[in-house]
Amino acid sequence: MSKYQLLPFRFQKFDSEQMLIVNEVGEFFFIPLKDFADLVSNNLDVKKSIFLDLKSKHFTTDTEIEPVIKMLATKYRTKKSFLYNFTSLHMVVPTLRCNSKCIYCQVSSKKTDDMKYDMNEATAKRVVDMIFCSPSLSVKIEFQGGEPLLNFKIVKYIIEYAEKCNSRHHKQLEFVICSNLTLINDEMLHYLKDHNVYISTSLDGPKFLHDKNRPLKTGLGNYDTVVENIYKVRQHLGEKSVSALMTTTKESLEYVQAIIDNYITLGFDSLFLRSLNPYGFAKRDWSEIGYNIENFINFYKEALNHIIDVNLRGTFFVENYTTLLLTRILTPFSTGFVDLQSPAGVVISGVIYDFNGNVYVADEGRMLSYEGDYTFLMGNVHQNSYNELFHSDNVVLLLKKSCLECLPRCSHCVYQSYCGADPVRNYAEQGDIIGNRMSSSSCKKNMSMIRHLFEIIRENQRDKMDVFWSWITRRPLIEKSKC
Amino acid sequence: MENIITKLAGGKLLIQLNKTIYEKDAVTNAAYKMTDSCHILVKPTENGMFNVYFEPKKNESETELEKIAKEFCNEILDMQVRLDIEKRYGNIRDLIIQQAFSPIENIKDKIKI
Repeated sequence: MSKYQLLPFRFQKFDSEQMLIVNEVGEFFFIPLKDFADLVSNNLDVKKSIFLDLKSKHFTTDTEIEPVIKMLATKYRTKKSFLYNFTSLHMVVPTLRCNSKCIYCQVSSKKTDDMKYDMNEATAKRVVDMIFCSPSLSVKIEFQGGEPLLNFKIVKYIIEYAEKCNSRHHKQLEFVICSNLTLINDEMLHYLKDHNVYISTSLDGPKFLHDKNRPLKTGLGNYDTVVENIYKVRQHLGEKSVSALMTTTKESLEYVQAIIDNYITLGFDSLFLRSLNPYGFAKRDWSEIGYNIENFINFYKEALNHIIDVNLRGTFFVENYTTLLLTRILTPFSTGFVDLQSPAGVVISGVIYDFNGNVYVADEGRMLSYEGDYTFLMGNVHQNSYNELFHSDNVVLLLKKSCLECLPRCSHCVYQSYCGADPVRNYAEQGDIIGNRMSSSSCKKNMSMIRHLFEIIRENQRDKMDVFWSWITRRPLIEKSKC
Repeated sequence: MENIITKLAGGKLLIQLNKTIYEKDAVTNAAYKMTDSCHILVKPTENGMFNVYFEPKKNESETELEKIAKEFCNEILDMQVRLDIEKRYGNIRDLIIQQAFSPIENIKDKIKI
């Protein structure tokens, strides 16, 4: 009879000395190769301290199995708790019109006077009715574009109608407007303040870079206006009322530190290092503005080093994607990020309603529709019921095919607990929602980033780990050191 | 390593694997990992072997293809170890997931290891 029982885990040789092993709930351990060989051949001495470490992290047990299964099941449920909020993020496109002409525009934005691309009241009402059919107790309505402020009348209608509906439903209701912030005025700001609307804007770095990536349709730059309006928003809505996203183009790769320092100078306490996605203009002009994923990984590593240094020098500044990954690696908790879920976050965590009432499983699915591909169209709010949209055979099939636990390579991948399925990206890149992991750029990206974080975690330098924990807990190092 | 790989006409390579050591799942999983580097064909034979054929995909040289084939040998071992370890969990993984979403009565009676 065995001296101990192995519990489910995945593994990968990390280097010439150690194996990384990760169990079903994301607990990890670096084990010397010799000990790993002993472990799996049932020859590890149960009195050795390493056995006790493995036992405490639920990789093995030499006692009753039933309580261990119950404990792991509870942890597993916590990790998958995002499943209980079906569907919390509802993105709405009030208009496809936009006054910007970003070089990587993914949504084929329309001219500012082309009113036929505006959502009307009847569609807006149906969209909100549909949103409130969702069983999720928390609902975030995020206005996407085009530039939502060009159809502010419908933005207001949706906010007010949603608030009215919520007086009956009592959900935790949030609003976010994703805006280039070039058109915001005092009247809008007063309204947004009255209705607790949060703002997410786009900022690609210093003036020369931002204006090159995100010019207006007039051909002029807008950096100065955006910056002025960021301060204005903070003045009206509060310091934490506006966040920004950056998109990395080929040009950005050369300005890692300048981008980060620009964010800090402008008073942001975080940024999201986002790689370029292969949709719309970005796909069309990939040879000019795109890059290999290896280039992005180098950019990411340099950025992360710099951001850690910035924190160690006393400025609290967070890289948001890293924080999502670290939360998944170092804590038992679930994170609600759509791209890092299994089953995929599409539909379960978020959907998008286009200006004409079409509903897509994800924003990228909408982007593909502008290229004439309606694979990810769920239906239309005027023609379909909630059940027809959200519980259709197509949606169920899509989700069934987006469980990492059953996808080729992912099923054995040591990083599975921290990663997610992205069927829309697989389809866009490879023409298949399952995709081939060996040639998938998003797989390479996630694996490289997670591995890099594990290298830092394994080094276990106190100052760096303190920075990581300050990001996870959202508490500056100085504040933490006072405790 | 010279006897592991057989060189065939047209720059193809052949590796023969014994079914008593390697399972089909291990062979296909290992082959899948090589799909970005070369074309692979797996054929069972009547004498209890798997014939695995390697063909260049992107004009790889004979040496490069040989390297890929040797990597495949290590990969298949890795995959077989994973399968062997998974067998030792029995149905514990299934029970953890089932218990997470729909508590099981008498788990003890359901454990099969």
